[in-house]
Amino acid sequence: MTNYCGYMGKVLLLDLAARTTENYIWTDLDREKYIGGKAMASKILYDNLTGAEKPFDSENLIVIATGPLTGTGAPSSNRFDISSLSPLTGITSSSNCGGNFGFYLKKAGLDALIIRGKCETLSWLEIDNGEFIFHNAQELRDLKCGETQAALQEKLNAEHGKKVSCGMICIGPAGENLVRFASVISGERAAGRAGMGAVFGSKNLKGITAAGDAIPSIYDREGAAAHRKKWVNDIRRHPLTGEQLPKMGTAGLVSSMQVHGLLSTRNYGKGQFEQFEAVSGEALAEELTAANSGCLSCPIRCTRRVPVDGKTVKGPELETLGLLGGNIENDNLEQICRWNYELDELGMDTISTAGTVAWAMEASEKGLWKNGLRFGETKDLSKIFDDIAHRRGIGAELAEGSKRLSEKYGGKDFAIQSKGMELAAYEPRRAVGQGLGYAVANRGGCHLNGGYLVVLEGLGMNVNGQTPHGKADLCMVMQDLMEAISCGGQCLFTSYGAVPAFMVRNPNGILQRVINAVVPFTGPAVRIYNKIPEIACFNIPLIPYPTELRYTTGMKLSLGEFIRIGERSYNVERAVNARFGVSAANDKLPKRLTDTLQDPGNPKTRVPLEQMKRTYYRARGWGKNGLPGEKKLRRLGIR
Amino acid sequence: MVTVKLFGTLRLESGVKELTAEAVSVRALYPLILAEIRKQKPDSGITEKTLKCCQVAVNGKQVTPQAKLRDGDTVYLFPAVAGG
Repeated sequence: MTNYCGYMGKVLLLDLAARTTENYIWTDLDREKYIGGKAMASKILYDNLTGAEKPFDSENLIVIATGPLTGTGAPSSNRFDISSLSPLTGITSSSNCGGNFGFYLKKAGLDALIIRGKCETLSWLEIDNGEFIFHNAQELRDLKCGETQAALQEKLNAEHGKKVSCGMICIGPAGENLVRFASVISGERAAGRAGMGAVFGSKNLKGITAAGDAIPSIYDREGAAAHRKKWVNDIRRHPLTGEQLPKMGTAGLVSSMQVHGLLSTRNYGKGQFEQFEAVSGEALAEELTAANSGCLSCPIRCTRRVPVDGKTVKGPELETLGLLGGNIENDNLEQICRWNYELDELGMDTISTAGTVAWAMEASEKGLWKNGLRFGETKDLSKIFDDIAHRRGIGAELAEGSKRLSEKYGGKDFAIQSKGMELAAYEPRRAVGQGLGYAVANRGGCHLNGGYLVVLEGLGMNVNGQTPHGKADLCMVMQDLMEAISCGGQCLFTSYGAVPAFMVRNPNGILQRVINAVVPFTGPAVRIYNKIPEIACFNIPLIPYPTELRYTTGMKLSLGEFIRIGERSYNVERAVNARFGVSAANDKLPKRLTDTLQDPGNPKTRVPLEQMKRTYYRARGWGKNGLPGEKKLRRLGIR
Repeated sequence: MVTVKLFGTLRLESGVKELTAEAVSVRALYPLILAEIRKQKPDSGITEKTLKCCQVAVNGKQVTPQAKLRDGDTVYLFPAVAGG
């Protein structure tokens, strides 16, 4: 139970082997400290994992967590989070998804579901108003994600004698076959990263449906309605969330990244792809986009709808365009749309799949591994992807990811991963703060978990991407802000509103150029704020999240307290990963990015990682080992 | 003669993908681009200020709007973008 609105007040621990559930104690004090979502999941993993567990052990936990805003109608608040020990990285990781499962999990009466144990045979789970019903899923074996979800809907309808309104998550063949980067799919949206689908597969869990009649209450309905109306208006007026994302989606970044030298090309050998226009957001919009769409309660609507095989399906994001475009020297946009669809159907992360294939192409070219793959020769990739999902032929090896393959065959210097997770499409040698983020990100080579400094270093703003100055402190504040936003259940794209519109609309103005020039020198000031975020004992319209939480839940938070929750979230995840061996030595990038210049004539075109890491650890108040000490954890109230 | 390519929402809203023009600087290009846009889509709402607010690259490298142009250059104009 809880005194806060927005929450359902129930967290359940489900044992798949015993088929029993028990209430997991999650108090209002926990809610105040962690809000929900990813932070809540990290704390649950921190309290329950010892460091001895392996990702495919039945003792490994899956935590599916919503935020208090999920399903309440707040802007872009339909997110949920799946956290577990990742088979790709061996450490805890989270994967965030915009599908409708979170909304329906709350309708079923739950804030979060913790899963342990393993089903004896392949099964699917029905949650109906808090009741759990196990079903045999043998006949769903090897079904793709679209087919699986259609079959589950049909079975529910037949069982209840009516069309059941429900949310669902499922895995495809990749998850069943323990591909280390298998995803979990909800509708057309993916909890794509970190191999959560393989953990489901290891537990013989093909899918979960959730339905119910519960509705989260709102603390101040009138206040919330007025606040949301204003917020939605602000989102629609902002050049990024109101123009670029609805009109072009994330695909709109390709051209800008090309100009800034940020577009991963030829397995990150270069930052510009000569044929970029063929695989750009402009080409996608002009030639293939049938419409745009969005997640539930989202005013941004960044999804592209594209035709594939006579159907209209979700189109590729920037990461997929970059990594299945220039990074493998492919300029066939229709092919990328098809692969994007096929990978979602197989239940496989497009980023890690593409990154692993790019590594394999280079390994083949260098004679390290004769696998038949070549840059630019991509007509057989659909079959390769199917082989990965089914662990056939070279697919069985590719299913292990680039880190493990490079340990076996050599070529670690060009395995573009961090902590085992392949990097997204942003080439960091022209945005070194983004490079720092990739390296120190708790879950591995993730652009978002790393603080997404590239939005300052050339995309949203125009801060010098080649200087390390100020980047460590900015990285920390961005990471903490994004952690806190995610905990509430909202999409990170809403945070673009925090980049002042005037900075985006006219990067050539004198004031804008001065601000961009000054930002790298703000490190010491940002450091002071990072140490004592509570000095911001107020709220500001640019960051409306604490106000939204107050109207929805009744929880009173200042901006500073909100950021502190993000810091707590980041530290608790780091602390549990320390039990699995993470330290400063794991915060690294492949030598291609740290030692090889992108432009041989420009000595600044590399990531000066060690220098930034030292500053970053100091900013975080961590030891030289890159870990929070006992004192830090106590200060944050984690221990 | 330089080649000008428009990107992002600027291209979608103007209906202009590419044009060629005679100009000695990026600034000198703006009225020429605007004339082409008005020819293609008179009601696009795009003004010279819209163009001045765009980021500019010449031959793949970012420059300021004050940059000089040479015969054969390719100029990119694009508004700011966000992320993924």
